[in-house]
Amino acid sequence: MDWNALIPLLVTLITIAVILGGVLGGVAYLTLLERKVSAWVQDRYGPNRVGFDFGQSWLWFLRKAWGLGQPLADGVKFLLKEDVIPGHVDKVFYLLAPMIAMGTALFAMGVVSIGDTPAPPALVMSKPIAGQEKSGINVLTFPTSIEDVKRLERSGELKGYVDQNEAYQKRWKFSINPGADIGFLFIFAVGSLAVYGIVLGGWSSNNKYSLLGSLRSSAQMISYEIPMGLSIVGVLILVGSLNLERIVDWQARNGWLAFYQPTALLLFLTAIFAECNRLPFDLPECEQELVGGYHTEYSAMKFAMFFLGEYTHMITTSFLTVALFLGGWHLPGLEAFLGADSYIALAAKLGLFMAKVGGVVMLFMMIRWTILRFKFNQLMNLAWKGMMPLGVLSLLGSMVVGQFGLSPWLLLPWSLAILLLVTALGAFLPAEDTKVHFKVTRGRAPSASGVVVRRPAGAEAV
Amino acid sequence: MATVYVNDKAVDIGDERLNCIQAAERAGVTIPHYCWHAALSVVASCRMCLVEVGERKVDEKGQVAIAMQPKVVPGCQTPVKDGMVIRTADAKAKDAQERTLESILLNHPLDCPVCDKAGECLLQDFSFQFGKAESRMVDEKNTPPNKPDLGPNVGLFTDRCIMCSRCVRFTREVSGTAELHVVNRGSHSEIDVFEGHPLANKLATNVVDLCPVGALSSKDFLYSQRVWNLKTVNSVCSGCSTGCSILVDSNKDIVYRLRPRFNPRAQGHFMCDEGRLGYHHVNDSARLGQYLVRGEQGTKAVEWAQAAGLCREKLAAEASKDPGRVWFVFSPSMTVEEAWLLANFAQKLSPFVKLVMGPVGVVGEDDTYPKDRKGRPAQPVKFTIRAEKAANLRGVRGILNHFQKDRATYQQFLAAAKSGQVDACLIAAGQSPQVYKPSVEEGDALSAVRFVAVQQLFSSPLTDRAHLVIPASAFSEIEGTLVNHAGLAQATKAACAPSRGLRTDGQFFLELLERKGLVHAANLRKEIAKAVPAFKPLEVGDLGEYGVFCEKLKEQS
Amino acid sequence: MSQAKPQKVKWVKPPKLGLLEQMYFPTVISGMATTLKHMVGTLTGTGDKNIQVQSYPEERPTLPPHYRGVHRLNRDPEGRVKCVACYMCSTACPAHCIDIVAAPSPWPDREKYPETFVIDELRCIYCGMCEQACPVDAIELTTIFDLTGMSREEMMFDKEKLLSVFDKTVAAGTDPVRTQPGRLGVASLPAGAGLTGSSSAQS
Repeated sequence: MDWNALIPLLVTLITIAVILGGVLGGVAYLTLLERKVSAWVQDRYGPNRVGFDFGQSWLWFLRKAWGLGQPLADGVKFLLKEDVIPGHVDKVFYLLAPMIAMGTALFAMGVVSIGDTPAPPALVMSKPIAGQEKSGINVLTFPTSIEDVKRLERSGELKGYVDQNEAYQKRWKFSINPGADIGFLFIFAVGSLAVYGIVLGGWSSNNKYSLLGSLRSSAQMISYEIPMGLSIVGVLILVGSLNLERIVDWQARNGWLAFYQPTALLLFLTAIFAECNRLPFDLPECEQELVGGYHTEYSAMKFAMFFLGEYTHMITTSFLTVALFLGGWHLPGLEAFLGADSYIALAAKLGLFMAKVGGVVMLFMMIRWTILRFKFNQLMNLAWKGMMPLGVLSLLGSMVVGQFGLSPWLLLPWSLAILLLVTALGAFLPAEDTKVHFKVTRGRAPSASGVVVRRPAGAEAV
Repeated sequence: MATVYVNDKAVDIGDERLNCIQAAERAGVTIPHYCWHAALSVVASCRMCLVEVGERKVDEKGQVAIAMQPKVVPGCQTPVKDGMVIRTADAKAKDAQERTLESILLNHPLDCPVCDKAGECLLQDFSFQFGKAESRMVDEKNTPPNKPDLGPNVGLFTDRCIMCSRCVRFTREVSGTAELHVVNRGSHSEIDVFEGHPLANKLATNVVDLCPVGALSSKDFLYSQRVWNLKTVNSVCSGCSTGCSILVDSNKDIVYRLRPRFNPRAQGHFMCDEGRLGYHHVNDSARLGQYLVRGEQGTKAVEWAQAAGLCREKLAAEASKDPGRVWFVFSPSMTVEEAWLLANFAQKLSPFVKLVMGPVGVVGEDDTYPKDRKGRPAQPVKFTIRAEKAANLRGVRGILNHFQKDRATYQQFLAAAKSGQVDACLIAAGQSPQVYKPSVEEGDALSAVRFVAVQQLFSSPLTDRAHLVIPASAFSEIEGTLVNHAGLAQATKAACAPSRGLRTDGQFFLELLERKGLVHAANLRKEIAKAVPAFKPLEVGDLGEYGVFCEKLKEQS
Repeated sequence: MSQAKPQKVKWVKPPKLGLLEQMYFPTVISGMATTLKHMVGTLTGTGDKNIQVQSYPEERPTLPPHYRGVHRLNRDPEGRVKCVACYMCSTACPAHCIDIVAAPSPWPDREKYPETFVIDELRCIYCGMCEQACPVDAIELTTIFDLTGMSREEMMFDKEKLLSVFDKTVAAGTDPVRTQPGRLGVASLPAGAGLTGSSSAQS
């Protein structure tokens, strides 16, 4: 038995354990942070009672601990609560739904690096486009045949690749699955599955409120996948890879993508708010209209899994935002100051990555207490009439720059210009008919004469 | 043909002899009144029914002239005639009503919160509708001491009395026993009894119903419920074959009191104390509460459907061997519908099974009222308590006659059982313990029978011998038809549900018959009317408030 | 159903938005600034004056006397239960949480009294209809709000328990406000007037 072969497996397992543990622990404390932040924003203290004294008087010094014991108490509560499975539900899907909701959110962490993870060396050849040798634009191609490999060997490029690969294997890698070339596709694929958790949860609950909530949210999530995709394709065109580490690496060399494509960043942020079902897009839950939305019928740990899934999603998408647009672990001048791969540099990069993620998470929470919830029609209008054209325009810029090999800095004015253009255009477009009011009738059903009344010509508004 | 004008509304009263109150009622107008009661003589002492009356005259030219009398007159004492005009809502009449109420309320303690009458009190109702809210009385009210022991069943809250004297007239005119009278004078008048002559006649508690306020109160009902919490259903008293129309007042499936319901075809306005207090067994916790199967291994409780299935199987098995040795005993207290279902079941087993009328309790002789001053019955009879203590003897007999004209008696059944000629028997629908109590001899007679099913309210010598004990339903739990001594078929409705796990008698018989659905008395009545000629009048389904006469049932024996 | 008459309807005009406001993002940013201001204020303590929170078990609120908390059954000046078992409270109760069994009273000056009087405090919705219905001011809602128990049975308050609430609140000087002061005779005297004498000063 070759024990050395097991070492990478062991390392991977440990990484999985650390990352999953970190994410779930982070999720637990994120719930506390959320409550703290909302309290601070609303001039309150927030949870500040539960510490770690467990009722023991000799642990007096841990008694309140700023409420840090709260997630533990919540977890215990969720585990010990009566787990009700209503009689009218479709049991298989009812049980499956929270697992999907949480599982898909966790899956995405598989390809996201959380610290300084170097880009894997590419076994590629670059050659000019046939017939356009003079243009100077080279196309990257992967070796697809023995002849190609042999040619690479002859030119000495393969030798370089092997060396690089050896060096790469020895480096620290803060990722479960480092160097996944389909990285982004994987995230998208898994992220699209998340909608199943919600749809199944709502449908299997056999409850009108749940069903309506889940239908609404599936429409929402599917709609917002499109601007999200559009915003990212621009990044991919610039970087030329789906591999997240390469994207970070590109940014370390060329500057953060947020500076090239602020509009894409904006679109991406908006879309992930919708994907995470966070305010101002938390329509699936909307206590006001749909009781609890898709998780009305869930209790105890199954409810907690939906809940945790939402926060895991938040963490995952924050990681993505940082990796895609905010340069990952990169900070200008950091490497010059601390060196490339000293332990201090690695630690600093890890901390930097985490700090950026924390910043995005804080943004999530601040937005929640700033912007009001959208109505469903506004939500759909935003996605299809606002974000879609904007995304297409942004993508257009990236395509032009990529095709003609222009300086990516040209994208910054383009990006800002289209943002201004589209928002200003929105302001000049005829507004929604604000004269339409819902008629308030006594009783439940609106009268047969119609639901809405228009302001009569004679009536003056005040 | 006489026409009376009540508040300008013309009412045709035919050639009846009515007073103003009755005529106004025909017009849908209420004239408030306390002392007047349709069953009692007129005294016009309360002055509550003061109305304006006048005459409408038409001269030769067709000109209408109305001449009103200058003063208000008591409506109860004023007979109406053709062309009479009654005004109840004009200033004069209203003023009179207000002043009368104010004076009636002078000494009334207004202790409605603790008064049992509150909620059905005429003083409350009329004060609300016709009175004025304020009293000008500044002196202290008379508070004469209460007389809690006016009689065994009746107490008097003396201060609440408004001196309408209905109760006094009742004991003089209807019961004839004349225990009550008015002592003292003026505002010190009180109702009282003579020393050693308590209000103890068999109709005494009717004065509580007659009392328009809460002065006379039933000791049985005292403080037990507030009347607005009670659910009231129309029913029929099952105490004797008079079949008094009654109201059953219950709350949360507990019966709290029975009251007479006016029925000119049955008993009139009143009911006897025996019937009125004869509901206590319904709420008795000692009632049978389980279907019990007694076998060699001992007794065990079963579900109702199991019990019905067992009963059906056992009886069918015995009937297939020798139907002549299978007996069905019908109770004279069960409803027509229950008897019909059970007889149908018996016929389904075999036309040769034996149907028997159960024991009919007879206590003394018919007791008629009023009595004369020596306690002898007097004429004209106003109320009769019958000796025959069976609510539906004629109805059950009518059903049995339809199937088997030539029947054995209950005594013959017992004798046959004793001599071993009975293989199986079902003794159905027990009677209330006041009406009939099975004796030990009857129980012993059944010892030789292979299968005994007994349906009873309480455990008795019969249930001790039974292989299947079926808890019976009380009168307040069943819906059906009862036929009284005069062949009057009246509908009784269920006031409460049977205890948890139990089914009504009719439902149990339906299960025996393996018929689907619930007992629906109106439909069953139609079914019976179609099948049995004697019950033809029941084809209406809904018997109405007063019931219908089945003349043929009266004559059968 | 007829349409509302135009002149009776108040039509509210939405505020006019400027160009920047219509572009949405500037307003989002200014909103974020407000949010951030409050958050920083709370965190640094500069916004402490805004904080409206009471740290409950340590700081106990003084509730207004008309607060509707746990019930109490009042005593008359002789210390007997004031209630006359009229069932008005249980009739008025929308939650059907009051259960009374009446009996002839053992005292000569009264006819009826509650033999048992049970309020299911878990079922109660604390609407105060019972105290409004009471003709003798016998039942009242106190300012005791933190009612807890380990079992459902414990939360069924019987007569003795309700009377003990009276004693407790009288002793603590937290008598509730009379629902209908005056003109009710002896019944409307401040609770416990004959017992403590001083507690009436509270209300």
